[in-house]
Amino acid sequence: MSTATVVALAVLLLGLAGLALVTRPRGASTLEFYLAGRQVGVVTNACAICGDYFSAASFLGVAAAVYASGLDGIWYATGFAAGFVPVLLFVAAPLRRFGEFSIPDFLGRRLDSDRVRLISVTVVQLIILSYLVPQAVGSGITWELLVGQGIAGLTPYATGVVVSTVAITALVVLGGMRGTTWTQAVQFLLLLSAFVWLAVVVLASGFSYPDAVADLTAEPLANPTQVDGEWRLEADASRLDPDHSSYFGQPGGRYGPLGQLTLIVTLVMGTAGLPHIMNRYFTSPTGTAARMTTVWVLGFAGVFYALAVLLGTAARSLISKAVPEQPWLAELTVDGVLRVPEHAPLVLGRIFGGEAGLGFVAIGALIAVLSTIAGLLLASAASWGHDVYERHINPRATQQQAVRAGRVAVVVVAVLSAGFALGLRPDSLTALFPSIVATMVTWAFALAGSALAPVFILAIWWRGITAHGAGAGMITGAVTAIGMFAAGTTIGDRGAGELLLTPTIIAAPLAVAVTVVVSLRTRPPADLDRLWLKLHGTAADRRAVRLARLTIAGVAEKGGKR
Amino acid sequence: MRDAGHFDARPGFDPDDGDPVLSEIGDDYDMPTDVDASFRTLRRVAAGHFLVFLGVVVAVPVLTLTVDWWSAGRLIGGMSPSFVMAAFGLYLFFFALSAAAATLSNAVEERMLGEQEREPAEHHGDPA
Repeated sequence: MSTATVVALAVLLLGLAGLALVTRPRGASTLEFYLAGRQVGVVTNACAICGDYFSAASFLGVAAAVYASGLDGIWYATGFAAGFVPVLLFVAAPLRRFGEFSIPDFLGRRLDSDRVRLISVTVVQLIILSYLVPQAVGSGITWELLVGQGIAGLTPYATGVVVSTVAITALVVLGGMRGTTWTQAVQFLLLLSAFVWLAVVVLASGFSYPDAVADLTAEPLANPTQVDGEWRLEADASRLDPDHSSYFGQPGGRYGPLGQLTLIVTLVMGTAGLPHIMNRYFTSPTGTAARMTTVWVLGFAGVFYALAVLLGTAARSLISKAVPEQPWLAELTVDGVLRVPEHAPLVLGRIFGGEAGLGFVAIGALIAVLSTIAGLLLASAASWGHDVYERHINPRATQQQAVRAGRVAVVVVAVLSAGFALGLRPDSLTALFPSIVATMVTWAFALAGSALAPVFILAIWWRGITAHGAGAGMITGAVTAIGMFAAGTTIGDRGAGELLLTPTIIAAPLAVAVTVVVSLRTRPPADLDRLWLKLHGTAADRRAVRLARLTIAGVAEKGGKR
Repeated sequence: MRDAGHFDARPGFDPDDGDPVLSEIGDDYDMPTDVDASFRTLRRVAAGHFLVFLGVVVAVPVLTLTVDWWSAGRLIGGMSPSFVMAAFGLYLFFFALSAAAATLSNAVEERMLGEQEREPAEHHGDPA
């Protein structure tokens, strides 16, 4: 790693720490610490949501999936982006108008039930942990390639996991939601600029996207596999037609007849149940602002994922051609193909920008990891600190005590996820799952889409849902999803494994059915009419807008008198 | 005592936490009948847009399995229609659909809620 890269990384981390310090919550208030005082603007919040959402799975995993599987790898990107359409249609505005602190808080209040709150806290924590571990794995992979050296006797991979976890935990504990919002927005712009720079230099070098797809599709797709300790390239059979090879530009590289659909359903439903993303909607000033924020997110997501797909294709086409002139690629590749597909954007950065280019893209990858870890830690803190500590353990807690509980929760969850990540070796799992980071994140989506999203959407749109129904639905969705993908990991991702590893298409309808059947036999909350007005009325929005106009008019009048 | 037909929603006020503070700039409230009508309209808007979204998203794998040209044909250089749709087309579609749904939903809420707070001149034109 060059000195310039080390300096850039240090300056970046110091800059983010400075930003978190400047924008940190003033005074110890849970509304400030968890929700930034509900005053985050539309574009800022959209950037922060993107920083939160575009994790290692998006920055490294999408390009890796395209690199390894061609057309079928693109469906990760499609699913990640598509997930925000149902969020906009069914969730964003009413969720913000109801105005709580977290998903468990929303469900607990909407259904007037502490039991529902505690069940959803359990599900939320499982989702957060499933999402955190692959982020830590991504930071380990990036450090391994960027620095290549460990600190204090740790391996490079372990050093990456530990350094990123410590750095981001400190930022979150310091900055709370307000600091994290601004650092995430800046982080998103930085990682988008890394992709834009890479795309520009790749295209400027004469790379033709359509021609590359044609060339790559002319030969069967082959990827490195370790057999008896030896790496070698093996052609991938098409999953649509096992008698034939798969090709880059054609379907079958990754999914059988059902796999593509089950993946999309899992990612689409999962987004609406991701706690760190849904919590961001509570920071919008109004429900309308939350809705428009989602439109901006979809615009940013389209640009970001289109670039990720282009870069995955470029990496597949250009890296093998660069091997003869770039000797350092020999240890990363087998016959010109990368052993770890997640290295694709990083290697492209080094080919086109030397050490500085690698540093820029690697910093982008670390940023993607850090900003997502930050959002997950805050969501976890809100869940433990607000939903468990304030509501159940110490209902008379002062604001200082509640904020301190949130900060302790941040540290505990961070240590736990780093511990899990240290126990994993990504290259040992590559043979089973070609893009391990994206695959692991899919598990978190599966749980969110199966257990939380169905109940969440029913709670917003169906007056008949009850606490008993919601509890039964969440448990059914969670148990079905966990059971299915536990079974899936034992048989791999082919045949029935496709369905088992992306179980939402089965688990979510089952959760809906159980919720509806149980709800029809029990009674909804007594004050449903009042809750419904809070959820679907716009009086609070109108008043917030009126207050903002009066404030602006007052400031303008004051300025005019001077 | 609060009018049962009105819902008070001032900042800092949470109906779960007790009585509201007095507003300094006039009351904002929603009538339950208006909210119900707006809810039903928004539900139709959301469901309609979701069906279009679902139709397009499901059509892509279905076309892959049923129409050879979709995966093997050439649309832009070496890119098949399926590749073009996955690499660019669906993102444009998602953005256009969401912008349309958001605009329509905002318009529905603007039109159906808060009617009682508007000045008559806002509705019927200023007689002057």
